[in-house]
Amino acid sequence: MLILLVVIGGYVAYNYMYQDHRNIQSETSHIEITAPYLLERFKKEDGASLLNQTITVTGTITSIEEGAITLNESVYASFPKIIPKVKVNDKVAIKGRCIGYDELFGIVKLDQCNLIKLPQ
Amino acid sequence: MKTVIVVLIFCLAFIVTMVGQEKFSTKTGEINFEASVPSFEEVKAENDNVSAVLETATGNFAALALMKGFRFKVALMEEHFNENYIESSKYPKATFKGKIHDFNFSQLENEKKYVIKGTFNLHGTNKTMEVPSTISKRDGKIWVSTQFILKPEEFNIKIPSIVSKKIADQVNVSAFFELKAQ
Repeated sequence: MLILLVVIGGYVAYNYMYQDHRNIQSETSHIEITAPYLLERFKKEDGASLLNQTITVTGTITSIEEGAITLNESVYASFPKIIPKVKVNDKVAIKGRCIGYDELFGIVKLDQCNLIKLPQ
Repeated sequence: MKTVIVVLIFCLAFIVTMVGQEKFSTKTGEINFEASVPSFEEVKAENDNVSAVLETATGNFAALALMKGFRFKVALMEEHFNENYIESSKYPKATFKGKIHDFNFSQLENEKKYVIKGTFNLHGTNKTMEVPSTISKRDGKIWVSTQFILKPEEFNIKIPSIVSKKIADQVNVSAFFELKAQ
């Protein structure tokens, strides 16, 4: 009986200690927002409630870099995998985790992103 | 004649400001830190979305890391780091603003050691430090790498005694930036 308890306890503790990372892409978006408005909210210091949240951002691609795209020069979205084929001026929707406002570049950063709406 | 001089002065002023404002920057700098204690679980995280800007005329250097961007291998450790230690909802970013000692852009080429003196802002606390770094110029880019030690207590970060044995009191930090002309 005692052994069983220890085994179950150990199992529960192990699962607690080594729980999986969040899967951003399987989470429901907290909010859907346009890229310029998202930046506006952080500039007005009204973005704290979005930190660490899974959000969907819509906008027009203004630049594409290795592993990341920028929407409306306001939101920088980094991708864990290779970015699907998109080009500058495409209108897209991106789902990712909002990690905060970068005042050096005046942009809001998202990580673990994925394109959820490809350009038509 | 007068107009020519005025135009020349304007041109000169323009050129000087252009040169003076030349910036090299990145949005994908890397910062790693490790506070592991031997025989305990590895305490290590990486952030590869760090922003940095270097002004070539002055040697001014600034970097910004969003704390939520630090990724750990163990999800629970990442949660504790954000919620209990670094309090990333209250203090979402860490910044460094400083100046590279004896920086001369035109002489920049092979790897050379420099000292960057500046102020860290982490967990809402400021600390002035001299950071040793290696800087070089290759393929039209500036490469900055650095390694240094931070102590959580100096930034008012409290580690509860229950876990303090598992977390080193000296945190090894390394950073790497590949800066491109803006």
